[in-house]
Amino acid sequence: MDARTATEPAPEYVRRFSAAEQSLHWLLALSFFVMLATGLILYLPSLAEVAAQRALWKSIHLGAAIGFWVGLLLVWSSAPGELRAATREIDHFDGDDRAWLAWAVRRNRSEPPQGRFNAGQKMNTALVAGLMVVFTITGVLIYLQEVNARFRGTSAILIHDVAMYIAIPLVIGHLYLALLNPSTRHSLRGMTLGTVRRDWARRRHPKWEREL
Amino acid sequence: MGRGVFLGVVGTGVAGLFVGGRISHAAAPIGSVIPNALRSLAPDGWRIYSINPPWPTFNPAHYRLVVSGAVERPLSLTWDELMALPQARQTTDFHCVTGWSVGNVGWQGVRLQTLWDMAKPTAEARFANFISLEQPYVDTLTLRQTTMPQVMLAHSMDGKPLSQAHGAPMRLVIPEMYGYKNVKWLTHIELVGKLKAGFWEQHGYDVDAWVGRSNGY
Repeated sequence: MDARTATEPAPEYVRRFSAAEQSLHWLLALSFFVMLATGLILYLPSLAEVAAQRALWKSIHLGAAIGFWVGLLLVWSSAPGELRAATREIDHFDGDDRAWLAWAVRRNRSEPPQGRFNAGQKMNTALVAGLMVVFTITGVLIYLQEVNARFRGTSAILIHDVAMYIAIPLVIGHLYLALLNPSTRHSLRGMTLGTVRRDWARRRHPKWEREL
Repeated sequence: MGRGVFLGVVGTGVAGLFVGGRISHAAAPIGSVIPNALRSLAPDGWRIYSINPPWPTFNPAHYRLVVSGAVERPLSLTWDELMALPQARQTTDFHCVTGWSVGNVGWQGVRLQTLWDMAKPTAEARFANFISLEQPYVDTLTLRQTTMPQVMLAHSMDGKPLSQAHGAPMRLVIPEMYGYKNVKWLTHIELVGKLKAGFWEQHGYDVDAWVGRSNGY
């Protein structure tokens, strides 16, 4: 017992993310950064000679992509109902969510109350999920057009590049909010340990906290 | 709405596969050598591709450039003999079929006509197979293409001896065609009467790899 506990009540923690949700998040994070690193080695001219073993970087890049989809299937099949419910939650934008998006831009009022995910998190999840599908479709085409030129004729490389230029700022923004921004960085605890402080939940996600 | 955003991203990406080329075509600078200059967003600069790493090593004492096949006088030139041949210089652009380019590359080397004057191709000779030290890489040109004005065997790039990454000691340079025709680590030229598919041509790539006018561009 330290001195603090005598004067302040111990913080109460509530579970924000399930094991399946956490696994899915870290599976994506790990495979994304492996693909980003190996992709940049293959992409940047300044690294062209470092990438002498291009075949190696390429296999790691493709392996991470395959690992991501296989892992996704495994995690999904471990808790299909729960993850479907989470998907529905992310899909659904109510009036407060739409007001939140306007608030996020203009900040001309107090924050509209949010559920377990705020509208920005929902938006980010949907965008990233879409980008992963675009990366996969164009990546498969790039792979095939190297094996055989009859798969050429689409702009697969261009779209893969564009998707990267969209994904990188999204991820940087996500990292800023999760690691640096004082009012949001507590959510990192939710994604690592699964639980968050109840008073933080009441402030940032009141509609969800009320139901707990 | 989340689903809408998701499907919107996927739909835009898939649509981009089919119209991306046209948009980048429209955005390309007027008079650009390559119609689809923005086919890839890749920053300009070299990428080093090889099909069978590690890269071949050049040993000047053992290196030979062999010219054989349909010639009156087969050649096996040592490094010193090659360097003693009349030298040509040019500054040309290099284009990769995957969409990146490098502008104004300074090359120094030997024109193919110099070799043909020595080896004297026979009437049967119609194609030249350029065989790399990196097996099994090979690519071909018609005999007529080998003597186009900007075609050469280069041993120097931007004022320095060709590096291992760029195909030391010798590479074929044909700026009018995509990089895969510009055989690196060249060691053997075989003149033949019948076309044999080069390495990438065996994967469906065009035999006449004209920049901007082949391989789906």
